[in-house]
Amino acid sequence: MGAYENRTVPEGINVSPVHPLKDFAVLLFGVSLSVIAFVIVLALLAGYLVRYVPFSYEQSLVSRAVAPWLEPSTDPLDQQRQRYLQSLADRLSSVMNLPDGMQVTVHYVQKDTVNAMATLGGHVVVFQGLLDVMPNENALAMVLAHEMAHVRYRHPIVATGRGFAVTLALSALAGIGDGVMERWVGQMGILPMLSFSRSQETEADALALESLQQSYGHVEGAAALFEYAAAETPVLSLPTLLATHPDHEDRIRRIQVFAQEHPPAMAPQLQPLPDYMKSKAKSNESQ
Amino acid sequence: MFELILTLVLLVIGFVFGQIAEKRHFRSIIQREAETRDLLCFNERRIPQDMFSPHVTLVCGSVVVSVDFFKHFVATLRNLVGGRVSAYESLLERARREAVLRMKAQALAQGATSVWNVRVETSSIHQGQRQGIGAVEVMAYGTALVPR
Repeated sequence: MGAYENRTVPEGINVSPVHPLKDFAVLLFGVSLSVIAFVIVLALLAGYLVRYVPFSYEQSLVSRAVAPWLEPSTDPLDQQRQRYLQSLADRLSSVMNLPDGMQVTVHYVQKDTVNAMATLGGHVVVFQGLLDVMPNENALAMVLAHEMAHVRYRHPIVATGRGFAVTLALSALAGIGDGVMERWVGQMGILPMLSFSRSQETEADALALESLQQSYGHVEGAAALFEYAAAETPVLSLPTLLATHPDHEDRIRRIQVFAQEHPPAMAPQLQPLPDYMKSKAKSNESQ
Repeated sequence: MFELILTLVLLVIGFVFGQIAEKRHFRSIIQREAETRDLLCFNERRIPQDMFSPHVTLVCGSVVVSVDFFKHFVATLRNLVGGRVSAYESLLERARREAVLRMKAQALAQGATSVWNVRVETSSIHQGQRQGIGAVEVMAYGTALVPR
């Protein structure tokens, strides 16, 4: 019996002496950073290449897939509003130096949404909800010029191209991990995309201000939408890092800086909005 | 945003509870190993002639351990870059030692003084397809020698 014995084995031989949190931090930081770097390179490349898609291709792409709510309304009042918006857009586009063959088509939509948007093919959508909170034409012109600046810089197709490329690449990575991993990589991939989105907004704001300055001789009233949005924003808002748009306060500040750098030749005059641009319920209230 | 928060919460829960469970398990393993030191275990196939007793019996112990969310997450990250998956090393160490301890408990219950030809086998009983968390089964078995 004496030849056989079980000696005590010291602890920690079969387990690597790494603190689990350290292991976690190194891996998480490394993988997240690589994903972000990869997405940035891919998005820049995609954004660069997609600019070579001719604007006419973009238009024909969208004309086949135009949503039914972009069809013009048959209501005469809606048509009147639409014509007013289009003429305002045409006036702005004359100072915006749109490249040859690029047209902006404005669509009016009878919805409460306080928003306007630019999409592929030079289509700009303005909602009645936005018109109702606009105090004057200058404020509306700022929003419209901002959306037209997106078209001018071809932001919609750049965003689409980047989105496609990054989504495709990240879903290729998804096979490696499982649900949680996929979600994490997805979230990390979105961060640089959000940053690109914010810089597009800032770029569009800058061109819109230039256009306003040229069109009206001043940028008075330009900050109206952001002031409205800043007042409406809930107290608990997303940190800038996770938002698609820059902070309202920052946008207002940039407008103020621009106004100081470009003092108007004479006292700024605000153009009123025609009465028919406000929805009936709102105009009844005010009477 | 919500998903990020959810992931972080799950990670914290996984880490806190996983670590508590692991520490407690290791303490218990070390204590029980000391208690069952007198029962000898060998992987030798032939029982030496001078120790042979006509009464031998098969004993086995098996354990299933699940990986926590934190370990699972770290291991998936590790899968991307390669290297030692230390998160799983401690898990399997626990499972192996627990399986041997259960086998020993069975042997002691039968009055055995030693266990021969001890084998340890591992199998993954749930791979964790999408959101699933993997669990591993470790089984130890051997021939217990009961003196007459």
